[in-house]
Amino acid sequence: MHRRTILAIARKDALDIVLNKSTLMVLLSPILVAVLFAFINGVFASKTDKLLIFNPSGSAVEQVAVDAYQKPEIVRAGSPDEVAAQFGPDGSKKSSDYVLGLVVPADFDTSLRAGGHPQLGLYVNGDQVSNEQRQLLMQAITDYSRSVANPQPPASIALTTINPPKPNSVVQDLGAFYTAAALLMSFMIGTSLVSGLLVEEKEKKTLRMLMVSPASWGDIIASKLLVGLTYQVIFSLVVVGVVKGFYGQVPLLLLFLMLGALFGCAIGLMFGSLLKTQNTSGALVGIVSFLFIIPTFFVGPLGQLLQSNPVAGVMQAFPTYYLAQGIFNTLGSQTTPESLALDVGIVAACIVVLFAGALWMLRRQAAVVSTI
Amino acid sequence: MDTPDVMIEATDLQRRFGAKEAVSGISLSARRGEIFGLLGPNGAGKTTTIRMLTGQIDPTSGSARVAGCDVVKQRAQLKERIGVVFEEQNLYDRLSARLNLEFSCWLYGVPRSRVDEVLDLVHLRDRAKDAISKFSNGMKQRVMIARALIHRPQVLFLDEPSRGLDPISAREVRETIERLCQAGTTILLTTHLMEEADQLCQQVAFIVNGKIVANDTPRHLKLAHGQRALSVTLAEADQHGSAPFREMTLSMDTPADQARLAELMASGQVRAMHSKEATLEEVFIEVAGVRPA
Repeated sequence: MHRRTILAIARKDALDIVLNKSTLMVLLSPILVAVLFAFINGVFASKTDKLLIFNPSGSAVEQVAVDAYQKPEIVRAGSPDEVAAQFGPDGSKKSSDYVLGLVVPADFDTSLRAGGHPQLGLYVNGDQVSNEQRQLLMQAITDYSRSVANPQPPASIALTTINPPKPNSVVQDLGAFYTAAALLMSFMIGTSLVSGLLVEEKEKKTLRMLMVSPASWGDIIASKLLVGLTYQVIFSLVVVGVVKGFYGQVPLLLLFLMLGALFGCAIGLMFGSLLKTQNTSGALVGIVSFLFIIPTFFVGPLGQLLQSNPVAGVMQAFPTYYLAQGIFNTLGSQTTPESLALDVGIVAACIVVLFAGALWMLRRQAAVVSTI
Repeated sequence: MDTPDVMIEATDLQRRFGAKEAVSGISLSARRGEIFGLLGPNGAGKTTTIRMLTGQIDPTSGSARVAGCDVVKQRAQLKERIGVVFEEQNLYDRLSARLNLEFSCWLYGVPRSRVDEVLDLVHLRDRAKDAISKFSNGMKQRVMIARALIHRPQVLFLDEPSRGLDPISAREVRETIERLCQAGTTILLTTHLMEEADQLCQQVAFIVNGKIVANDTPRHLKLAHGQRALSVTLAEADQHGSAPFREMTLSMDTPADQARLAELMASGQVRAMHSKEATLEEVFIEVAGVRPA
């Protein structure tokens, strides 16, 4: 491989992409969708989530609860009683401005480290927090406690829920849905660009010119991947920015963004190796873009509604399901080591398989590439 | 850099595609600064020969050296020393002529100032900023020639450079080729246009069904296959005083025709006289038994 030729082709492609109306549309579509989602989310979920917190010692456990919300508004309580008064007894019905109440004992972290079992008060408004989210929040707090005093037994949580939600109610933050959907949709950029760039070189016979230049077949493929991946990452970051999706476990969100970008480019490389016309490439990319978006409906809050749907089981056969699941978990700060291993493992394995398959195909074409 | 005098030398080149033999044992050579024409009908094996000589495909058997490089074993060096103008117009349509050429500069590591030089050579500097999609076929062809020259190749391969061009564009392309030849570039040209080959090439090879059936200078081929005869145009005054013309053919080898010619010259009736030299197309038809296109 030669850096000079790889960069030369990449530079040409990067320029050509913005001069091409169809690829420009591919780049802008996810951003337009993200703008639309951001608008809808702004209209229907413009209010912030008010959290009433009593945390005199400034324990970091507060951040675990805060991270679960896209637009948290923290109100400081003067005493535990103030929090209890705002929510009322467990199981009661009461109109409340607050989504969540948290009472952290003054010596919470110190007590944990000393092997004690401090009790943390968690107040949940079921009108705005689903059962699943409540459970995941408790799990996150327990995990935090373990991280402070592992392997000591964790703190106990005194849970109070007002306005108890129905078992399958979907009252969660739809912002996570919009963020995940927009991000997953953006992954078609890499698929479309890498496939389109390779196929266009074949279709317009410019590949022949490249093959008599100092560029090797490997250089050409590497340059297409470089351009596709670069545009993919930049535009995915823009999409997340537009939908204000940088919340929750941001480093893990970026990890899934990179995995999604690589996955999209790997599919693009596979298509680019198989196809010879831009029409077929465009049609296939269109179909694949559905496979990026559809799993969004079967994970997260909407997934609770569709749990019994047989399609939900089928969806688990697609790697994009695990990509969507991973993104949802990071947005809700609900990623556990087990869920991370499952989601990352499956997506990474699929990326490796796709790249290996595409490279095998492309190596077979190397001998005859100048006659394509 | 190795600069041999024989710039293209192929020995018994053969190429099979499955059961089909596209090229069957071709041998040819071209010297520095020479335009070598590879002539033949469509499907004769011209493009396959170029692909082997430019390292795009491996020969099934035989060997070839171009600009001092073995086309199989020294492919990387070969690519730096050759330029190729393809049969199809494979430019980046959305990019301007200048950007197409700058891209080649990036590929070969050539300074961008070279772009203006090659644009001047093909007389397109004033259109450099225009997108290729706005160019005529002739202009595109000239940009392709400019692109192939960006790294100052020792050998230039031109595959059907006038295909699909109008007569004016074709003439412009031929003039560009002549200028390159004068500058010392060795050119291998494939064409099915015999007039073009006759005008440009110092040496031509006729290729039919993957085999070279004749290889010589156009002059020798025409003389070897033409008639030793003269076509004479006579003016004969009629009863109204006007002068209709009459054509007649006289052999240069027959004493009676030689005497007749002398008599006509003396009478002042001869208005024009041409040798009956064969055209390259006639030679091709005679040698190959098929028309060139």
